Amino acid sequence: MRIAELELDLDVFSGPFDLLLTLVLREEVDLRELSLAEVVISYIDHLEARGELELEATTEFIVLVAALLELKSRLLLPDGDAEELLELEPAEAAEELLARMLDARRYRSAAAHLAELLALAPEVRYREAPLPPELRRIDLEQAPAGLWDPAILGRALGDLLTLPARLDLSHVLVARVSVAERIALLRRLLRKGGELSFDEVVEGDDRMTVAITLFALLELYKRGEVSWEQPKSFGEITVRAAGRAAVGGRR
Amino acid sequence: MSELARTIEALLFLSSEPLSVAELSAASGASDDVVEAALAELAEAFAPGRRGLLLREVAGGYTLASDPVAEDAARELLGRPRHGALTPAQLETLAIVAYLEPVSRPEIARIRGVNAESPVASLLDRGLVSESGRSEFGAVLYRTTALFLKLFDLQSLEDLPDPAQWDPTPEQRSDLRERLLAAGEARAGASSP
Repeated sequence: MRIAELELDLDVFSGPFDLLLTLVLREEVDLRELSLAEVVISYIDHLEARGELELEATTEFIVLVAALLELKSRLLLPDGDAEELLELEPAEAAEELLARMLDARRYRSAAAHLAELLALAPEVRYREAPLPPELRRIDLEQAPAGLWDPAILGRALGDLLTLPARLDLSHVLVARVSVAERIALLRRLLRKGGELSFDEVVEGDDRMTVAITLFALLELYKRGEVSWEQPKSFGEITVRAAGRAAVGGRR
Repeated sequence: MSELARTIEALLFLSSEPLSVAELSAASGASDDVVEAALAELAEAFAPGRRGLLLREVAGGYTLASDPVAEDAARELLGRPRHGALTPAQLETLAIVAYLEPVSRPEIARIRGVNAESPVASLLDRGLVSESGRSEFGAVLYRTTALFLKLFDLQSLEDLPDPAQWDPTPEQRSDLRERLLAAGEARAGASSP
């Protein structure tokens, strides 16, 4: 049976596999709504019903499903690529799927050719053993004089065992910001105004300080001292004191 | 047999890998031409049917190999076949490495449409491919080895045929392209009111 004729009965689609592919490519079926696991399970059921594995068809199926999975994962990940794909013409998408299939097919044929070569290769054996040790190693007598002298070896080993001097790191500044410090800062600022903008709090600070301040904010939120809101992604974060009593009560 | 031919025979006996003319002339101190003449002399001496060894040109060099007549006895003696069977997945992976080397595992997986971890690992174990540096993205790159060339009786990878010969003709190709769209369109048209 050709893969194209595999009958599917899924949540969002019922019909043959090639129709599903076409509809996906023409964006009439939303790939995001389609459970590819269901498609795979249908195919496995079909295989079980047939009781035999059709390698050719299975390979084609796997390649197609893999391509669909890649398309779907790109759709699900909000990045620049996704938009590009959405704009892909159905014909282009078909072309991409096809290129995959042809690539796979090319190397399947190459593999068959290799199998032939292997079968046709003369039944000869080559030396596999490495050279016997006596041919590989230098005799003690032949080694440069003095190289194996115990004193020299001892010195060489001694050098390896000596700990190198500690590196002086005093010139490297380590930014030290603690969650406790930032909590204290936030509490101080909140006592003044009762409301503040996160961006203003961390203005001019390095990334580490911004991150630690966010941890501090989370900690305060967990303790119920503040509430905060961010109307949209990457937008302004407004922090409000949850009530003076709560703050004062814990101090 | 000339002294040089006997020297080269000895070098081939001692080496476990094929030796190129350059290596043989460097070791023996003779010029390439003279070494080639001595190799011709050796080939004559090791012509099939004369000795238990054959002089073979493989993997970019010359090496001694056992006469196929000894194969049964050799298997008995060494207790294993010349090579284990290769699964279709391993052959496919090997083909991709041979044609595209150096190539990374993700690239192999992309072409085959399935994870290539297991076939790559077994090809590594068997010494048919080896690691060869890393790609700009840090993925390990793989190449075929001299053992691969010996096993498949190849001089070099250039002996492999152009893989484009297995591609479908442009007509078949456009047929295939149409198949996905056209067949589905017909059905979609039939089912819509």
